[in-house]
Amino acid sequence: MTRTRSPRSRSKRPSGGLRPWLGWAIKLSLVGLVVLAGFAVYLDAIVQEKFSGKRWTIPAKVYARPLELFVGQKLSKNDFLTELDALGYRRESVANGPGAAAVNGNTVDLNTRGFQFYEGAEQAQPVRVRFSGDYVAELSSTNGGKLPVVRLEPLLIGGLYPKNLEDRILINIDQVPPFLLETLVTVEDRDFYHHFGVSPKSIARAMWVNTSAGQMRQGGSTLTQQLVKNFYLTNERSLSRKLTEAMMALLLELHYDKREILEAYLNEVFVGQDGQRAVHGFGLASQFFFSQPLAELKLHQVALLVGMVKGPSAYNPRRYPERALVRRNLVLDLLEQQGVATPEQVAAAKKMPLGVTKRGSLADSSFPGFLDLVKRQLREDYRDEDLTEEGLRIFTSFDPILQMKSEAALGETFKRLAGRKGSDEVEAAMVVTNPETGEVQALIGSRAPGYAGFNRALDAVRPIGSLIKPAVYLTALERPSQYTLTSWLSDDPLSIKGADGQVWKPQNYDRRSHGTVFLYQSMMNSYNLGTVRLGQEVGVPNVLKTLARLGVEREFPAFPSMLLGAGALSPMEVATMYQTLANGGFNTPMRGIRSVLTAEGEPLKRYPFQIQQRFDPGSIFLIQNAMQHVMREGTGRSVYNVLPKSLALAGKTGTSNDSRDSWFAGFSQDLLAVVWLGRDDNGKTPFTGATGALQVWTSFMKKADPLPLDMPQPDNIVQAWIDPHTGQGSDAGCPGAVQMPYIRGSEPPAGATCGGQEPATGEAVMDWVKGWLN
Amino acid sequence: MNKLWIAAVSALALLNGCASVPQGSIPVVDSGVAVSNNERVSAQRTAGSYPQAAAPRAAQARTITEDSGVVVMIPGGAASVSTPISTQPFTPGPITPGPAAAPISTGSYTPSAPYSAPAPITPSGIPSNSGGLAADEQLDGPVLALLTTAQQQQSSGDLNGAASSLERAQRVAPREPQVLYRLAQVRMAQGDTAQAEQFSRRGLTFASGRPDLQASLWGLIAQAREKQGDAAGAALARQKAKVSL
Repeated sequence: MTRTRSPRSRSKRPSGGLRPWLGWAIKLSLVGLVVLAGFAVYLDAIVQEKFSGKRWTIPAKVYARPLELFVGQKLSKNDFLTELDALGYRRESVANGPGAAAVNGNTVDLNTRGFQFYEGAEQAQPVRVRFSGDYVAELSSTNGGKLPVVRLEPLLIGGLYPKNLEDRILINIDQVPPFLLETLVTVEDRDFYHHFGVSPKSIARAMWVNTSAGQMRQGGSTLTQQLVKNFYLTNERSLSRKLTEAMMALLLELHYDKREILEAYLNEVFVGQDGQRAVHGFGLASQFFFSQPLAELKLHQVALLVGMVKGPSAYNPRRYPERALVRRNLVLDLLEQQGVATPEQVAAAKKMPLGVTKRGSLADSSFPGFLDLVKRQLREDYRDEDLTEEGLRIFTSFDPILQMKSEAALGETFKRLAGRKGSDEVEAAMVVTNPETGEVQALIGSRAPGYAGFNRALDAVRPIGSLIKPAVYLTALERPSQYTLTSWLSDDPLSIKGADGQVWKPQNYDRRSHGTVFLYQSMMNSYNLGTVRLGQEVGVPNVLKTLARLGVEREFPAFPSMLLGAGALSPMEVATMYQTLANGGFNTPMRGIRSVLTAEGEPLKRYPFQIQQRFDPGSIFLIQNAMQHVMREGTGRSVYNVLPKSLALAGKTGTSNDSRDSWFAGFSQDLLAVVWLGRDDNGKTPFTGATGALQVWTSFMKKADPLPLDMPQPDNIVQAWIDPHTGQGSDAGCPGAVQMPYIRGSEPPAGATCGGQEPATGEAVMDWVKGWLN
Repeated sequence: MNKLWIAAVSALALLNGCASVPQGSIPVVDSGVAVSNNERVSAQRTAGSYPQAAAPRAAQARTITEDSGVVVMIPGGAASVSTPISTQPFTPGPITPGPAAAPISTGSYTPSAPYSAPAPITPSGIPSNSGGLAADEQLDGPVLALLTTAQQQQSSGDLNGAASSLERAQRVAPREPQVLYRLAQVRMAQGDTAQAEQFSRRGLTFASGRPDLQASLWGLIAQAREKQGDAAGAALARQKAKVSL
């Protein structure tokens, strides 16, 4: 810009000589021409360089998992419609064209939009989905042919923005909806197809309108000039800038045809501000305001968007709906007047509401907790510039439906428990994964949904309390010659002398001892004394080894207090640990990202599913059995006040000292959730694991309606009938006999028929009965 | 002389048949295709000039350090083997399918499979059932469709695409051992023998009562161990494969 002024001033200076006036003038104008030509060459370089090179930097786009449809899939019609709404599907009586859906009872007809995935392209196609109960009963093409599997396009859940926070979705001029180009030209620059970049006619008209109105009513800028202004120049208002703009507009028109210029305009135009993010281009604007791809917009939506160009903040349809409506209808009138649209079309469009999506609907919610996880994973593999500039497409495992359900569960539970003193200060975190794939599906980092601050799911590292216990019991159960689920375990008081001479006397939560109980009972009732005794027997270092094998990478000192969960983990780490328990002893590094494509849709990177067997399936089968007892009769039993008895679940409560942390971790066949409640200042809360976190977990599971836990019985497991009081083998027909799983060879010898059996007596049993009733 | 010609031509045809893409398979990535309905990037004049150089490439070569000294139980086996999680990056690009990637014979999924697999010729030295599945193991719609897609991708040398499709199938039917078996095969073809073994093992935990499949899975474990230089483990797995049958 500095150079633009200097030649100009030089061209004025030599006007001192007067005598050979004409000669000078000729010479001068020659000099001026040369200078001007030089300047033009310089500008031309700028114009061409930026326009032919990469025109925009595009932030990486993050997508949720695409919803898969197939017969037999567990999916309720309501959840399906929620997803369709979020994806901006129009509800029509007959689905017509991509992005349209028609609901008729249990059948939904829709036209999918198609999408480029890592594995290949999913074609846009008409699909009929019939629901029966909460299952997909039929999936066919609307002409009747059966379809094996269909994928919807994924929901865009966010982007990774650079510092200037410009965001856009690039569009091709061939993909614009009807009316858009005509409307834009009619409203902004009627001579667009006839001028050379600047339009003397428009300028004259603008001057005429402005002078007769006495104020700035109309700008004389062509679309080309507007593009040049936004694209190359600053917002400065000066004559020299105006002249530069005009020259550049001329040069642009010289090199590029009208369609190319129009396409650039469509992508460059500023249409609104979303917090710190600047919304550029009609592609993003369409998603931002309507949650729909640009190509699907109808006349009334096109008119609204084009009308907003004049003043994106003044005509913001979310903030000033009335003003925006007036502006939209004005544009529609103009279209009618200019013959772009018929009076009928305009009348119909005017009857339409603005159609702008609400903030806070699924489509317009933000999920900062999960995005944070994605960003951290990406930063390990990419430079910041790659993420913010190259338009990468990040495909994740995020499930917006499960996320909304977990947020709802958290909110409702807090509302229900609001009466508890001090519950207002309690914060929360939650991690939801699929144990069968190791994928993170939902994540809550804060009690306030959408809060993008401290991500407690990843960063709140807190003592896990009794969540550690499955590791203690699993360590024992891996030694079937020594321990079975029905091994006797003393819950009598004990004291342990530490290396420093200090004596540690652990206590049960109810401050009572429960005598001698079965191993699984100590686990299900979360008895501390029995657990510490067992942990001492198998050795604290071995318990810590088990913890490491479960997937916990943090190092802990081998103190006896570790047996009661003095070690601190984040909810995400707990999810990793429990995932191994849930998935048959196979550990999976938790994944939030599936794959990355380049802006052009070419595969760039995959985050493959990896598993590693860390435990014998038999011992996992046993610990899962004990964890199911937790839910049926132990500390987690309140879950069945809400959920059906037929739903087999496994889990464990956790409460740290003085109820500072309330934990619950548990799983069904297809869903694992970890909930943490606690205060940021580590103060006391009014919740135990059972009264706090478990309530959130239960509410979530109720909404998510998972599949019952059903681990296939490993070959080395046998089911034996036992007497529930003595643990001795029993006949299947004996009253009260129960079946328990054992590693083959560790089961009690088969019992005699009931006639010959002594009635069970003894203190242990009485204690056990008390424990049962407790 | 003439006979020699016939032999040479038929050998060539055979090789070609093995290497070529089955009819009807679609190229996985068509960069000319609209990336999505609304996001077309051709407006950006840099098609193909994505500066993917430094960072992502470097990242691919990254290794994930895992606790490597973990003792892993072999299901049903007595041996304990220390296996670190595979840290091998998956290199894209065509990998010549070796015996490990021997395509499953068509009939094994269901007789009406829509794709035609290469002629049912197995490379010499590999028993005909090594990659096969019992004919009675029918798969239903979505899984079959995705396995078919994966098969096509694998045949065309797109192992990453195949693995990705198989993971998609695994999400649809997480406990279908045939999916895990195919995933293990593709991992093997990618040179990731450790994961090939792990997925086979996972498959075994769901394959109870399916002796043919168990034998195939043990066979794959044997191959994986062999490639890892674990001859004893491979022999053990091979024995298991025989017992299963």
